[in-house]
Amino acid sequence: ATTAVAEEWNVSLWGSPRAFTAHVEKIAELVDEKTGGEFTLNISYGGLSNNRENLDGISIGAFEMAQFCAGYHRDKNPSITVLELPFLGVSSLEQEVELSMAVYQHPATVADLARWNATLLMPSPLPQYNIAGVGDAPAALTDFEGLSVRATGGIGAAMETVGAVPTSMSASEVRQAMDSGVVKAVAFAPHAHMSFGTIENATWWTENLNPGTVNCPVVVNTDALDGLSDDHREALLGSVDEALDHYIANYNGATMEAWGPALEERGITRVSFSDDEIAAFKEAAAAPAAAAWIEQNSAAGLPAQELYDMVTGMIADGS
Amino acid sequence: MATASLVLTDDSTLSKLDRALLRLERAFALISGLAVFGLMVLAVVSVTGRNAFQNPLPGYVDWIEQAMPLIAFMGISWVMREGGHIRMDIVVGQLKGRALYLTELITTLAVLILMVLLVWGSWAHFQRSFDFAAPMWSRDSSMDIALPIWPAKLMAPLAFGVLVARLLLQVWAYGRAVVTGQAIAVPLIADAATQARMEAEQLED
Amino acid sequence: MEPIDIGLWVTGGLLVMVVLGMRVAFAAGLAGLIGLIWIFWARKDFAMDDFGWALTVATKTAGQVPHSKVSSQALSLIPTFILIGYLAYYAGLTKAMFEAAKRWIAWVPGGLAVSTVFATAGFAAVSGASVATSAVFARIAIPEMLKIGYNKQFAAGVVAAGGTLASLIPPSAILVIYAIIVEQDVGKLLLAGFIPGLFSAFVYAALIIGMALTIKGFGPPVTGFTWRERFASLPPALPIVFVVVTIICFVYNPFGGDAWGTPTEGGAIGAFVVFLMALYRGMRWPQLKDALLETAKLSVMIFTIIWGVLIYVRFLGFAELPAAFSDWITSLTMDPMLILICILLAYAVLGMFMDAIGMLLLTLPVVYPAVMALNGGADVAAADSTFGMSGPMCAIWFGILVVKMAEFCLITPPIGLNCFVVAGVRDDLSVQDVFKGVTPFFIADGVTIALLVAFPWIVLWLPSLA
Ligand code: NA
Ligand code: NA
Repeated sequence: ATTAVAEEWNVSLWGSPRAFTAHVEKIAELVDEKTGGEFTLNISYGGLSNNRENLDGISIGAFEMAQFCAGYHRDKNPSITVLELPFLGVSSLEQEVELSMAVYQHPATVADLARWNATLLMPSPLPQYNIAGVGDAPAALTDFEGLSVRATGGIGAAMETVGAVPTSMSASEVRQAMDSGVVKAVAFAPHAHMSFGTIENATWWTENLNPGTVNCPVVVNTDALDGLSDDHREALLGSVDEALDHYIANYNGATMEAWGPALEERGITRVSFSDDEIAAFKEAAAAPAAAAWIEQNSAAGLPAQELYDMVTGMIADGS
Repeated sequence: MATASLVLTDDSTLSKLDRALLRLERAFALISGLAVFGLMVLAVVSVTGRNAFQNPLPGYVDWIEQAMPLIAFMGISWVMREGGHIRMDIVVGQLKGRALYLTELITTLAVLILMVLLVWGSWAHFQRSFDFAAPMWSRDSSMDIALPIWPAKLMAPLAFGVLVARLLLQVWAYGRAVVTGQAIAVPLIADAATQARMEAEQLED
Repeated sequence: MEPIDIGLWVTGGLLVMVVLGMRVAFAAGLAGLIGLIWIFWARKDFAMDDFGWALTVATKTAGQVPHSKVSSQALSLIPTFILIGYLAYYAGLTKAMFEAAKRWIAWVPGGLAVSTVFATAGFAAVSGASVATSAVFARIAIPEMLKIGYNKQFAAGVVAAGGTLASLIPPSAILVIYAIIVEQDVGKLLLAGFIPGLFSAFVYAALIIGMALTIKGFGPPVTGFTWRERFASLPPALPIVFVVVTIICFVYNPFGGDAWGTPTEGGAIGAFVVFLMALYRGMRWPQLKDALLETAKLSVMIFTIIWGVLIYVRFLGFAELPAAFSDWITSLTMDPMLILICILLAYAVLGMFMDAIGMLLLTLPVVYPAVMALNGGADVAAADSTFGMSGPMCAIWFGILVVKMAEFCLITPPIGLNCFVVAGVRDDLSVQDVFKGVTPFFIADGVTIALLVAFPWIVLWLPSLA
């Protein structure tokens, strides 16, 4: 292919520009720079698709790049939901990126996403979904008994094992539900706790429960990627690392720096559980969830055990 | 919101087909109404479960999302038959006889083209969520309790398919009306006042 | 050709189709689909070989919209709000409401007309749709007013105007639709409609009392009800209070402490309470079946418009038209308040010819971002804003203004639907009669809208508590 043709890609995100989209904004900037404005990424926040239909849009060819979360639709992307299992023990965003990239490059994952004509480009690493809540702060895991908590997917299942009552609703309804007492607690990443206003009500936050997180990749349309000139493709793929560095620096910087003071300003108690408590929680929740995941996805024809072993192995090696 | 119906019938094949299709359309519309009723019952169960038994209905939102296509789509053809879909009839209301039927024929053809394409488009949407090889044939699932979504997605092409049949019938009926000057099996324009009176009469017990 | 030019051409084509009498839902869907084909084909420079590709991508993109957009928990409020209204009719709540209002309020000058206004306001608390409210009260209230010597046209006007209160006082289908288009909190918007709705009722009442005091031979006050009779009228109407309190407590608990659930649940529980009442009052399967079919009909009409217009909106997203319009509005050097007033006046004109729901769905995707930009953005703080309110508050304020405009259009000629309905119920009244009778209420509505624009706290006080 030649480099003379100007190339414009449409990118489907949702919501508004935020820490969660900083890497996409950055990669657009880098690609534009590297190609002298010949290859541009035209980012749209919600104009091109619903967030739950971004993979459909990629498969149709309506746009060339998109972001989505694996937990929105497990059956669309079973392979990457391994990264959403509870209590994997991931401790940093850097580690989250490394694990994600390994899973994304696994042949089973590549084949899984190929059903959507999609190629995984990079993750949008999120910290652990610790829980913020109203009422008496839990001192021990037994205090979760009967607590209504907004938690989806694997985290919801994990909470159920200690007697909590997981309830589902869209993120935009969470604040209302908390105001109205429909839920007493909410599991979110810190930036979401801030942007969806759950900390306005909350009186406590679990500092070290670390029940898990969601995995939200950025994908590109495979045909569009193959159709790029070599220079343009290199400009795009060669910018991934720098975009992710920018994302992590921004998240750890701006967002996490705002998080501590945000808790203190509102007098929110940080709840810390003992190592024994956490270990007990893990035992109750993590092993059964992993076993169920492996069984279900093996039945669906995925090398589930292999994917799970790869992820847990990397974590054990401290990578 | 003009919801009143004014459809003439006679002994012709066209009219018989119209009434046969109407029976199907009314059945579909009743499914839609029952789904609304179901939504109400679901909320009662959910609220009671949460407040009285500390045990909310798992996947309440997922179930609502599954029911919505039933409510939104199933009655679409019936409302078209009754001439109930909202429109601005300032211009078309001035027309009479063949000029009117010709205009209606043209706009009905336009709707037919749209709906044929949308049967294709919504079927493709269904197909992407459906996989014979997968457990529960599911390739797309709901967020909370991972219900297969394909049944809900199938409702769109199903209801739109019935609407396409209705539109084909209406194209035939308007075409016939252009020739004969007599419109049967299609909703006639009552003047706004007659329309409102019929609407009000629907409320009498 | 730039995407924005395509956007303008398609929008023009849509208006032509609507004027020619094509059903709004399908006109918007077709415009959106054609626009998508055009935009995708333009990306391939209109090469003949690529038309098939453009058609396929556009059709599949449009084909996602119906399922994707109607499968929403928030939208499930609309059918339940509609169902409540039909069930309330079978539960005898209409008649009870009117009787109670008459015995308690009719002693003021212009008493029976004032009673009608407050009875419609009360019924509005269980009815989500204006047209249905007018139709029901035309049958109950007009005969009583005529009996004691009211002017026939005026009596009809009261009922036509009173019906519009149903869309401000929660529950309201149209406020839910607004909340969904602009992606704002449904509960807060419903709450925000409450005071402006009551406020409108009081403005109507003040107008009627003023007319009764100045015009000779206006309807006399109705006196002579004993306290025993007054209290006897309350129990049959009480269920309305119960339903209202239930719905409000689900949105925001005024007694302190937790509210009882989400607005979605509140609507459904309200419907269930009315359903039990209707059963008690003798509703059986044939009546229930009618209520369900009518609910299905109205719901399908609304949902078809919703997905049809959202196909068009999806196309607008690809054409980047909303952003362009918003840039244009904010670049104007006029006073922002004047721009806002011009927008509201444009709605008054458009509303003369269009249905309220269709009008909001067609215009808001373009107008709403522009208004928000005018105020300083969706997340602006009150201190930095143009209109002195935060982004979310501006969204609520503008929503109430727009819905009030849409309701105003239900009583303006030539297509004031409420007036047609009232004339339809009464054989002795022509549409012209009703339009004549409703004229004073234009003035009342004009005053109400001006006050809501000038004093936004009337709208924002209640939602700011929640
Ligand atoms: Na209402
Ligand atoms: Na009007």
